[in-house]
Amino acid sequence: MSEIDEIVGEFLVESYENLDAYDEDLLALERDPADREVIGSIFRTIHTVKGTSGFFGFNALESLAHVAENLLGRLRAGELDVTEEIASALLATGDAIRRMLGEIERTGEEGTEDVTALADQLGRLQADDPASGEAEAPAVDASAVADVDTSTPDDTSPADDDTGDDHGPRLGDLLVERGDVDAEDVSFAALEQDFGDPRRLGEILVDDGKASEEAVASAVEAQVDNGQRSVADTSIRVDVGLLDDLMNLVGELVLTRNQLVQLVSDDTEHELTGASQRLNLVTTELQEGVMKTRMQPIGNVWNKLPRVVRDLSLSCGKQVRLVMEGQETELDKTIIEAIKDPLTHLVRNAVDHGIELPEDRVAAGKSEEGQLVLRAFHEGGQVNIEIVDDGGGVDADRVRAKAVSSGIVTQDQATRLSDREAVNLIFSAGFSTSAEVTSVSGRGVGMDVVRTNIERIGGTVDVQTELGQGTSFKVKIPLTLAIVPALMVSSGDDRFAIPQLSLIELLRLDGDQAASAIELVHGVPVYRLRGRLLPIVDLSSQLGHERDRSGEAINIVVLHADGQSFGLIVDLIHDTEEIVVKPLGSHLKEATLFSGATILGDGRVALILDVLGIAQRARVVSESADRAMSTEVDEVATEHTERRTLLLVEVGDDRRAAIALADVQRLEEFRADAIEHAGGQEVVQYRDAILPLRRLGDLLGAGFVEPPEVLDVVVHRDEERSVGLVVGRILDIVEEDVDLDGGATGHGVFGSAVIQGRVTDVLDIQVLLGNDPGVM
Amino acid sequence: MIMTTQFCSFRLAHLTFGVEVDRVQEVMRSQALTPVPLAHEVVRGLINLRGQIVTALDLRRRLDLPDREAGEEPMNIVVRSSGGELSLLVDAIGDVVDVDETTFEGPPETLDGVARELITGTYKLDDRLLLVLDTDRAVQLPAPA
Amino acid sequence: MNAIVIDDSRATQAILTRILEDLDYEVTCAGDGRQGLQVLDRTPGIELALVDWNMPVMNGLEFVRQVRADERFASLTIVMVTTEGDVGHMVEALDAGADEYAMKPFTAQVIREKLELVAAGT
Repeated sequence: MSEIDEIVGEFLVESYENLDAYDEDLLALERDPADREVIGSIFRTIHTVKGTSGFFGFNALESLAHVAENLLGRLRAGELDVTEEIASALLATGDAIRRMLGEIERTGEEGTEDVTALADQLGRLQADDPASGEAEAPAVDASAVADVDTSTPDDTSPADDDTGDDHGPRLGDLLVERGDVDAEDVSFAALEQDFGDPRRLGEILVDDGKASEEAVASAVEAQVDNGQRSVADTSIRVDVGLLDDLMNLVGELVLTRNQLVQLVSDDTEHELTGASQRLNLVTTELQEGVMKTRMQPIGNVWNKLPRVVRDLSLSCGKQVRLVMEGQETELDKTIIEAIKDPLTHLVRNAVDHGIELPEDRVAAGKSEEGQLVLRAFHEGGQVNIEIVDDGGGVDADRVRAKAVSSGIVTQDQATRLSDREAVNLIFSAGFSTSAEVTSVSGRGVGMDVVRTNIERIGGTVDVQTELGQGTSFKVKIPLTLAIVPALMVSSGDDRFAIPQLSLIELLRLDGDQAASAIELVHGVPVYRLRGRLLPIVDLSSQLGHERDRSGEAINIVVLHADGQSFGLIVDLIHDTEEIVVKPLGSHLKEATLFSGATILGDGRVALILDVLGIAQRARVVSESADRAMSTEVDEVATEHTERRTLLLVEVGDDRRAAIALADVQRLEEFRADAIEHAGGQEVVQYRDAILPLRRLGDLLGAGFVEPPEVLDVVVHRDEERSVGLVVGRILDIVEEDVDLDGGATGHGVFGSAVIQGRVTDVLDIQVLLGNDPGVM
Repeated sequence: MIMTTQFCSFRLAHLTFGVEVDRVQEVMRSQALTPVPLAHEVVRGLINLRGQIVTALDLRRRLDLPDREAGEEPMNIVVRSSGGELSLLVDAIGDVVDVDETTFEGPPETLDGVARELITGTYKLDDRLLLVLDTDRAVQLPAPA
Repeated sequence: MNAIVIDDSRATQAILTRILEDLDYEVTCAGDGRQGLQVLDRTPGIELALVDWNMPVMNGLEFVRQVRADERFASLTIVMVTTEGDVGHMVEALDAGADEYAMKPFTAQVIREKLELVAAGT
């Protein structure tokens, strides 16, 4: 029975294919009801389904197709106009047929769906009186059929040989090309045919002695071959499983090549090196070639969208025209599945939330019909997909407000976001911009899923908008998933691969820098990278083995996931390699830190880090504890613009310094001559104890200034000891939102701030005095 | 019902187990193992089996037996399962044995807990008992306690 | 014996091929009338053609007309295959030169009977 199964399988494949075109054709027909070719194609699809289903005994399918065919017959004959109702009914028919095919696929039977309502509707529509005033087609019967189905006049024109056609070369042209005849002879022969000569072109030429029989015979053969090749498919059908196998084999070859390359590089034997290089080249080309076979045009994903847009527009009461550019842009099939849903959601979102109602559009001076453009193209080694609407745009302020009320950002942070950054908040989890929940595209909760899904395959998504003008979503995704470039790093004895797409840059902090450069904010380690705070995650810690890194140099890999950058501390950074991504087995579903594994050149297995997984686990993204950190806001401004009470002092000639009042125990005045010296240090007697003194000017390298008679001293106490800090002049006590510009300028200084219009060093007393070897 | 099958026997601690021979793809010495941090403790890591990445499960841990002594290298029994190949880490691999059907009995009373669930029964061998491992259940991870 | 199946549906081609193979024919397929003519042109010894009515490029009716206009194929038995049940089509096909007419779905037995009719008629 398996041969029957094969034939049923063929039937299913062919029907699905035809139904895809059928949907497109129906939408095209709605736009241009006079398109006879399209009607013919739609008719043939239903006709074929009807015809073939009979052989298998799929009676319900056959009857439904039969009713639909009757309706289409009248349409084709011009007796009926295409109306929205008819188009909808026919689309519904296509859907019903698909469902039945699905049942057949699953169970071998048509299923029990009751389509009588649909069939009745089709019957009713078919029985409607013909539209009045509609130009009748000349004949309602066979000649109409011939009109639609036969080829263009070219094919039966006597000027050509019977077997010449649109696709293959004409006999006369071939002969001229080959130099067997002159062009004039061909024209003359063609003229004879025009005058009624029934002979074929080749015959005429031979009879007239213009060409030899052999030449004509050979040309005819070539023509048939050519014609046949161009009429027959230049492509073949290949089972997808076979392509997957090929891809796996290529993957193995890549791994083996990696192994060989590694072994050979240690070997200086010339011939071996040469062969290895050739293998390298061939493998790369083979890899590219096989990857090409898996490439499919994005049109395959898009072809469902016109229907989606149509149905959605109707139910929303909007008018939307869908324009698609770049359908032929190719993607690896592994990616195609992954982006279907996100793209569909973005399109639905544009229709539902983006494009305004026709009356609103008119009121805003726009056309009634909104336009939605889908654009795809290759750029920079990635596939770019843009979804652009000319709708009302996204109101950045409303997004800000919503983000604040949803707890995604604080009011403060929200205000500091640029409009562009604010609008990208719509991708945050737990967000919704629609005023009401629409059943059509949901609350907009899909947006964060959209971004997650896109990022999961190594892509990015960004939104730009102009209020009142429209919105555009830009998606970028890699060309393939199976073989990717990755950066190799180590943690302990183990090596890990980080997909290069997630990689932004590499940092290395030397021992000294390392100690102070990583700060703690809200208990989270961060590094200040060019003014932005980068959350830091230690890979070793995440993997469960803490490491004491004090005194060591620190390697940081800056990564990005879910819109957030973060730095990952690793022990060692190695090279970038091309790795073959192999999936982890089901036993490792829980290991969210890893997205797969690969085999290295030396045969060892290395795990591939799941950047998003690490970010989530380390609570760098989308976890409420660090929501404050999860936007790319200039955190410097936020964190360090705390309101502080500062003691303003003068230092040296012209410098100013500020000391947190919390660090000040007392302010004292001492006469210069009260200073004594003990053990090489300045001290003063103070409250029954000796108070060591340090001069701030010296500590800051502010230059020597003649000390005045009376010294202002800031007494600072930590743990057990007190120290007196001799300052220039105590100026003021201020409360400031300190916004620090620039990084640390040296030991003991947090940074500089502008206070009372003057650049002021904000001091870290603890460090300042702690570092001073002179203090006991 | 177990037909006349041969069993690949192996040792874990002082116990002898058997896996139906047609479930066994191959046996190997200790292989370089890449540990998977944070995975279930039964998952010891990943091994490279001629270009395929195979998950290695520690049967001692699966059966709640104490870990092997440090320095003792396990052997690998690669079995076929519905999800693909898996390697079972055992102490030592024994012979392929033919069993006397008549000596089949249910799991011994002395077995408790996890072990009881994973043993379908026993056969009597010349000098000891062969515990028949339920391969399908054994390769499933235990639910978290 | 050699036969040709001309139908734009691959599934139907597969089905009809199976049916004809059951009748001991060796079958070549073509996707439309023009391809059918090409196949006939270069493949000698084809005795039977099962031809669909509705096809793109060149439909069944036109195919029949062209074949019948060519003496080389005078002995070719043509059976039109279609789901149309109305008399008009049947008459047209037979007028144009088809020998018989078979309505889908049919079995090998039906084709056998039709062929016997044709043989008896000649």
